Amino acid sequence: MEIATQDRPAPPPAAAPPVSGPVPKSPPLSLLRVERLSAWLAKWSIEQRVLAGFGLVFAGILVISVVSYHNTSVVVQNSRLDARSHELIQLLGSIEEALDAAESGHRRYLVTGDESYLKAHHTIVEQMPDYAHFLEALVGNDLQQRERITQLEQLIKEQLDIEASAIKRRAEQGADAVRHLALPGVAKRELDNIHRLIADLETAEQRSARARIFQSTSSTRNTIALLGLGALLQLVLLGSVYYLIHHDITARRRVAAELRRKGELLQAANKELEAFSYSVSHDLRAPLRHIDGYAALLSKTAGQSLNEKAQRYLQTISDSAKQMGQLIDDLLVFSRMGRQEMLRSTVNVDQLVQTVIHDLRLDLQGRPISWTIGSLPDVSGDPSMLRQVFTNLISNAVKFTGTRPEPRIEIGAMQQTPGEVILYVRDNGVGFDMQYANKLFGVFQRLHRNDEFEGTGIGLANVRRIIHRHGGRTWAEGAPDHGATFYFSLPLKRTT
Amino acid sequence: MTTVKPIVLAEDNPRDAELALAAMEEHHIADKVVICHDGAEVLDYLYCRGPYKSRESGNPVVVFLDLKMPKVDGIEVLRTIKNDANLKPIPVVMLTSSREERDLAQSYALGANAYVVKPVEFQQFISAVKELGVFWGVINEPPPGGTESAA
Repeated sequence: MEIATQDRPAPPPAAAPPVSGPVPKSPPLSLLRVERLSAWLAKWSIEQRVLAGFGLVFAGILVISVVSYHNTSVVVQNSRLDARSHELIQLLGSIEEALDAAESGHRRYLVTGDESYLKAHHTIVEQMPDYAHFLEALVGNDLQQRERITQLEQLIKEQLDIEASAIKRRAEQGADAVRHLALPGVAKRELDNIHRLIADLETAEQRSARARIFQSTSSTRNTIALLGLGALLQLVLLGSVYYLIHHDITARRRVAAELRRKGELLQAANKELEAFSYSVSHDLRAPLRHIDGYAALLSKTAGQSLNEKAQRYLQTISDSAKQMGQLIDDLLVFSRMGRQEMLRSTVNVDQLVQTVIHDLRLDLQGRPISWTIGSLPDVSGDPSMLRQVFTNLISNAVKFTGTRPEPRIEIGAMQQTPGEVILYVRDNGVGFDMQYANKLFGVFQRLHRNDEFEGTGIGLANVRRIIHRHGGRTWAEGAPDHGATFYFSLPLKRTT
Repeated sequence: MTTVKPIVLAEDNPRDAELALAAMEEHHIADKVVICHDGAEVLDYLYCRGPYKSRESGNPVVVFLDLKMPKVDGIEVLRTIKNDANLKPIPVVMLTSSREERDLAQSYALGANAYVVKPVEFQQFISAVKELGVFWGVINEPPPGGTESAA
């Protein structure tokens, strides 16, 4: 644990550079910022930091994709516009050519009267609506160009009309009527205007094509630069995320190894403790047996010759040995309760309490105890351990009501918080002062002198140890001469 | 009770042995008790070797085994007895200070016939040893064969 907390603050400074990289301009300010940032990042868990890293990578990819898409679509659009400009320029060339042919054809007709020269004129008159349609389709949205096209159409119409009326006059009134027109041409001025207008149109188209080429080039350059920069940024971000994960895994591995080592140490210590209590159980009891045994043998062989005082001494030796034997036994039970494996099953507390009271029948002989046993639930736990709990609590209640003329013992259950049940044993015995309540459950802690009430002071310590192992709590309430209530809680459902 | 079949008491502690003998004396079975001071001596007795080379052949009526003994411990002796076809029928009673679950489980797994925890209180100890001696030495009918035929 210690190692983990020491390591925690380390990752943020390492994680900070990619974020703070683009920011710095003036060193002291950025340093301050980095510090604040790392302090802020330290509050994040590793999962949150990794997630934030991946989020940034994803957002970066999204931004790059959107910008690249936009740039590429501009380039595509421009190339489409370029194709249209090109077509428009070609179309204008064709119209110009056709108009020129029609003009020189109609002049030749005016001079010669040969109708075959009118073929070009008829063709353009016939095709003009189609040409107009194409022109409008190709000119695009530029207002100035549109206006020029309208003007061009107008001029062409005028030019063709003038030509047509000259042709008509030649046909009706003969060559003399139009002789003055044949050489210079009827609509030379209009044709010049048309030529100028077409030149304007072409220049404008070429200008905007150039602009588009410039735009496309810079768009493409931007896209390439953005992709490069984006790739670099993603690499940095992914790198720092990798670093974070790697760092965390290394720390976790170290902690796991440490835990394993501690676990092994603990196991060894536990083994040692087991060997110790084994040796206590075997070796400490033998001398006690001898003390009691030889005291008994002595009293048997020399009993008659000993005076009353000497006999009492012998009795005291014997009693002390027995008491110490009891202490050792209780301590061994206590130590075993801590080590013994728990065997969980559903325990019928009602039945358990009846069994315990039945087991205590020898102590209960001649005692007018009035029992109140409430409805007790089934609980999950180790049956023999819980039996020990009830044996200790009930025999305590029996013991400490010994001086009462009307002893009462109540055993019940209550359910205050969901998920746990509280069981209690209440008596109207000698009770205790609440200021000693925290001492009640300690090993060898006693609140009464031995000549008042017998006991080794281990019973409640055992109760506490067993209940703690079940994941519950123990506490007590009482007042001197007003009885005591001992509570313990048990979790209703536990899987472990 | 026609022939004197011995009771073997394996007890390394001379005081425990003396106390046990004092208890058996009350029932006049003390003279049948052979006291061995460690596991190796028990095996010497059972296999009639070493100091017991010249003893009368035949298995004891019961063996009381302490768990913790020098040289060869009680569990080892028990294992040897229960793995030997000739010795196997001898009733073996573990008589020990240990109440540890591990010892109980191991003893019964190896085939101990009974397991008695020595009480600290002398009166209880006396009555326990007395009852054991009377039950196994007098009341209980020992297994047939073995007793006379064992080498």
